[in-house]
Amino acid sequence: MLIALTLGLGSVPIWGSEYAMLFFMLFCIYLALAQMWNLLAGYSGLISLGQQSFVGLGGYTVAVLSSYYGINIWIGVVLGGLASVLLALFMSLFIFRMKGVYFAIGTWIFAEALLVWFSNWAYVKYGSGLFIKPSNDLSMVTIYYAAFVVGAGSVALVYILLRSRLGLGLMAMRDDDQVSETLGVEVFRSKLYCFLISAFVTGVTAGIFYVFQIFIQPYKAFAIDWTVKLVFMVIIGGIGTIEGPILGALIYVVLSQFLAEYFSVSMLILGGIAIVVILIAPKGIMGTLQEKLGFEVLSPRRF
Amino acid sequence: MEGLIQDIVNGLLLGGLYAIVAIGLSTIFGIVRLVNLAHGDLMILAAYLSLFMVTSLGISPLLTMFAIIPVMFAVGYVLQRFLLNRVLGKEMEPPLLVAFGVSIIVQNFMLMAFTPDARSLMSELSLMTFPLGPDLSIPVLYLIDFCIALAVIIGLHYFLQNTYMGRGIRAASDDPYAAKLMGINTQNTYAVAMGLAIMTAGVAGVLVGMTFTFYPHSGPQYLIIAFGVVVIGGLGSMKGTFVGGLILALAQILGARFFGPGYQLLCGYVVLLIVLAVRPQGILGRG
Amino acid sequence: MPENCALQMDGVNVFYDDFHALWDISLEVKRGEIVSIIGSNGSGKSTLLNAIAGQLSPRSGVISYFGETISGLQPHETVAKGIALVPEGRRVFPRLTVFENLLMGSYTPKARQHTQKSLDNIYALFPRLKERSQQMADTLSGGEQQMLAIGRALMSEPQMLLCDEISLGLAPIVIKGIYQNIGQINEQGLTIILVEQDITRSLKAANRAYVMLEGKVVLAGSPADLTEERVKAAYFGI
Repeated sequence: MLIALTLGLGSVPIWGSEYAMLFFMLFCIYLALAQMWNLLAGYSGLISLGQQSFVGLGGYTVAVLSSYYGINIWIGVVLGGLASVLLALFMSLFIFRMKGVYFAIGTWIFAEALLVWFSNWAYVKYGSGLFIKPSNDLSMVTIYYAAFVVGAGSVALVYILLRSRLGLGLMAMRDDDQVSETLGVEVFRSKLYCFLISAFVTGVTAGIFYVFQIFIQPYKAFAIDWTVKLVFMVIIGGIGTIEGPILGALIYVVLSQFLAEYFSVSMLILGGIAIVVILIAPKGIMGTLQEKLGFEVLSPRRF
Repeated sequence: MEGLIQDIVNGLLLGGLYAIVAIGLSTIFGIVRLVNLAHGDLMILAAYLSLFMVTSLGISPLLTMFAIIPVMFAVGYVLQRFLLNRVLGKEMEPPLLVAFGVSIIVQNFMLMAFTPDARSLMSELSLMTFPLGPDLSIPVLYLIDFCIALAVIIGLHYFLQNTYMGRGIRAASDDPYAAKLMGINTQNTYAVAMGLAIMTAGVAGVLVGMTFTFYPHSGPQYLIIAFGVVVIGGLGSMKGTFVGGLILALAQILGARFFGPGYQLLCGYVVLLIVLAVRPQGILGRG
Repeated sequence: MPENCALQMDGVNVFYDDFHALWDISLEVKRGEIVSIIGSNGSGKSTLLNAIAGQLSPRSGVISYFGETISGLQPHETVAKGIALVPEGRRVFPRLTVFENLLMGSYTPKARQHTQKSLDNIYALFPRLKERSQQMADTLSGGEQQMLAIGRALMSEPQMLLCDEISLGLAPIVIKGIYQNIGQINEQGLTIILVEQDITRSLKAANRAYVMLEGKVVLAGSPADLTEERVKAAYFGI
């Protein structure tokens, strides 16, 4: 069933309208971002309220490289991912000493700091923003496939990761607190790898997003709104499951199409729904289904 | 070095305001281990409420405090009692995310109800200064902020140290199981604590509104200030909160002086991150 | 009759999530008695006291206190009725002083009216606490903390005192003193339920005893009835 879905998704440009391509492209982008947030919050115990740091950095890397230096757009995207990893590494020096809540706020602070910095930086034209100028004309199809690669790829990546030694360690830790105490350093390193990996994928995904958007501004790129959407998607879809973010991203893209005109209302509704879900069904839709029906579509467990 | 003394004095006075911004966050985190991510937004909500009263009743912002204080206490009480108490437990994520959700809801509600325009509660008070020597003048408003902040913090401290309810709050935070055996209704106690915390946020919000312009999205920047104060000064210490406020305010003002006004916030963030890296429990905090 | 029956439990079942901790518990305690509940670790003794105090709610069965149903009440409500629990492990508030700990004991509105009198009584009973009244509770020795925990419970002016393993971790001579205090408290008219692992000590102090095993009452009687063989057999499930 999964293969059919993937094939279906991959072939959208063939059978779908312009609108369908747009819809599914956004779906893939948000899917990748959501998978990464879930990797952190649902599996590594790291609540990040600052993924927008990597979104902004990834986007700006592409913008700067393409606008000022005419570098190939896709190389720019990858470099955006790498820049994000470096940022994550730097951030980790500070925030990986912090526990739980402090970590979360630390990530937020970095994002806010970046927002302020970029807004005041002449090199990126302050708050007025930058254009992304691809050196050759890009078709929507190309962009779509790039999004598809990160979207489907993120799911595959998380799946493979969780089945690896690193992943098993994380899941063991997640299920039993005491285990984490004894494993100490290993757990720390696993979390760090996840953080770096999520930074990379987020940066790359953002790069693709901004290739599509063509224009980037600090107050939007580094805005907390990104986190709001990710939290919404993962909480509703099901935190700590691989299928959760898929469902969550789908729901979000559908909802956002309906609420396109009413920005604040939409944020309000997202926030409200997320709270209700946390109170009533903290495992989200997929998580609750898994619990009640005892199945996992994409189980990283080996048995 | 002209104006340096002035900047330092301004920084110290501003520190008082920052301390009262932080005290609610610090108190509630110390008691219920919950970081109220909506703290800043609730402050701004109070500022808007005050503005509403000022424009419709024509009274001075300081007078609105009499209404703001009970209203914000009620907001905090209800929030804790009926929403946050339900997610308190072993895991840290649900309360954090619920508070995050509340923050988003409050922010967007304010955006819809009050439009994104800049607002302020500034009055003639904002411009008044009184001179203290040839190069030094004290901005009256900063002084008022400082004095009110000091009064509130001392009052809160006294309450927690010397009243039954205050001691009950401390007991419930030490050991809820044992506190219940004393006849303490912990659900109520936590709600009272949050009520107090949001009440101080309300006072802080009005003061902030009187001192600076504010927008619906101003909340998070004050949350970060509050967080910064708590980190720098240390958790669980009233003195620490005050010291933290002073240091953060000084960092910002001196940063603006030496690097330019756009970098004011950034300097604050940098100092905060440094303290986090070097001495995470804060300067006066208990390890 | 209800006026003489301090506590009655009928067919009480208590669960921790899915774990069945107490099975059909029925027992009674008369006014002014000292009743011991003995059993090894995990036999459900503490669960029993927690259920009476209201920290746990029975899934079925009735707990009544002087004729009034109290099963399902919250802990702060049972305290107001006159039941005080001295919890296992003492659990004094570490960051409050001895005095403040005792003060917390008289938190209920009823008890608050007689705080000073209650304090005087407690200090008379436990002079050591008066000496240390301004010290932080976590600086006290084990025996002193136990006295503090008992004193704190007494501050709520209870008619029934539930004691959960008050001899745990204390030196024999200290335990002797504590049990003397228990005797004094009982003479002042309080009904006392003692939960203990130390069989000898608690049987000596009690009027009657129940033996528990794996969440069930397996033996009951006066200390004379409960010979060593019978108790050992019940205790170990032989």
